[in-house]
Amino acid sequence: MKKILSKIYSPSGVGGILYFLGSMLILLGIWQLVTFITKSEIPGPVATWTVFSEMLAEPFYDYGPNDKGIGLQLWYSLRRVFLGFALGSLIAIPAGLLMGSSKIGMKLLNPIVQILRPVSPLAWFPLGLLAFKASDQATIFIITITSLWPTLINTAFGVSSLPADHKNVGKAFGFSRWKYITKILLPFALPHIITGLRLSIGIAWVVIVAGEMLSGGVGIGFFVWDSWNGLSLEKILSAILIIGTVGLLFDKIFNVLQKAFSYESK
Amino acid sequence: MKANNELLIDDSSSFHKIITETSIEVKDVTVSFKSKGKGTFTAVKDIDLTIKKGEIVSIIGHSGCGKSTLMNTISGMVAPSSGEVIANGKTVKGPGPDRGIVFQNYSLLPWLTVYKNVFEAVDSVLPHLSKAEKIELVEKNLNMVNLWSHKDKLPSQLSGGMKQRVAIARAFAINPSILLLDEPFGALDALTKGSMHIELLKLWNLDNRNKTIVMVTHDIEEAIFLSDRVVVMNNGPAATIKEIVDIPLARPRNKKDIIHLPQYIEVHDRLLNLLFDKFSIEDL
Repeated sequence: MKKILSKIYSPSGVGGILYFLGSMLILLGIWQLVTFITKSEIPGPVATWTVFSEMLAEPFYDYGPNDKGIGLQLWYSLRRVFLGFALGSLIAIPAGLLMGSSKIGMKLLNPIVQILRPVSPLAWFPLGLLAFKASDQATIFIITITSLWPTLINTAFGVSSLPADHKNVGKAFGFSRWKYITKILLPFALPHIITGLRLSIGIAWVVIVAGEMLSGGVGIGFFVWDSWNGLSLEKILSAILIIGTVGLLFDKIFNVLQKAFSYESK
Repeated sequence: MKANNELLIDDSSSFHKIITETSIEVKDVTVSFKSKGKGTFTAVKDIDLTIKKGEIVSIIGHSGCGKSTLMNTISGMVAPSSGEVIANGKTVKGPGPDRGIVFQNYSLLPWLTVYKNVFEAVDSVLPHLSKAEKIELVEKNLNMVNLWSHKDKLPSQLSGGMKQRVAIARAFAINPSILLLDEPFGALDALTKGSMHIELLKLWNLDNRNKTIVMVTHDIEEAIFLSDRVVVMNNGPAATIKEIVDIPLARPRNKKDIIHLPQYIEVHDRLLNLLFDKFSIEDL
């Protein structure tokens, strides 16, 4: 499964690019078909492209709180995602290390993880509002609390699957705790942690749109909602394309990181 | 327990020095493991074994006979359930830098280069040395196994024999007085194995045969070629020492020559009989 995914997302050479273009053509075809069936109630690729290029022509304009360029909206969303994701990772990695390295830690923390993990980001939102009295922080809060789980679980799994052989090296040569953590535990767990981060940033990026629809103000999610209120479906479709592309880029970046830090493949 | 002091090992190895110091004493050691739902499993029982300084001793037996467990009580990785192990005059309470270990599966850290794998061990065991002295030590030991030119490679880029040479260099680099080898050459092909035997003896000679070497193996030829004595284990569970066989072959030993010696053939047959006494040709 992993192999198939990485093959899809990392097209290699000319063949890969051709496949990617082919894939885009199929997408455009389906889109055009939907437009045709709905009698242009859902705008087609050409109509969307006109609006999309207008949006891209001046992405950073700022005409007050409810009228900003798409670049600015995206910037605000990215800021929130990174803040939420960074906070989440700061909690998830140490907690995962703790869970993975002690059986007691695992038994105590695992039920909490299993209960909180499936909770929808929207359910957290009121709590965030109550706690922070501000919708911006509440949005960051829901990103943090929904995106930290994959990193936590993968870190814990990575640490707990450390082979006895590697532990024995530390024992046989009397490694200090610090040396053990930095030379054995973390290097072994790093590929697992990065896999977790890759899944987490994906979730954070999914959650941001929902969060900003509730919080309002500014951001790509707000932009989608605002465009719906202004009945500009072309803008919504343009935003969807942007959201998808940014998500793909995130995945690519973490894919590169994953390859850089996996010792087996080198 | 130093009754065997001043003992000349045997006549044929006139070349062998008079050994006076005891290196390892295994005293009445029993190791039991608690296994879930099955009560306790006794791996080895009532083991007594005294090994002199500079001796090479092999522990041989069938798979699962507890030979690795016995070895691990010496390394300190496994604590005996009863009895005690004394290494260099001190009761073994855990792994220590006086006992270097070479693991069956090399146990190199795959994310560290050959150089770093040895360096981290040196850095950990000999923290008082200066950086330059540590580097010198790593270089010297990697040179001994002819791997200095491969120092920047990762373990995954090395062959099995090369990995095991790194592991041996790592064990020698911390200059332990006791070297423990757990089926060190089991995963290697016959040719590589042969050259590794010579390599090991070379390192032992370079160090004036001062290091005590204990090796777990299931290869009779290997045990005879390398060892002064071979400890034959009974089959587990609750394995005991069946017999300790002296190898009456003078050093230096030449692999091609010794196999034709009557002493070699005799000791080879003896070990074979000890290991396979349950079966006769008719059973097959």
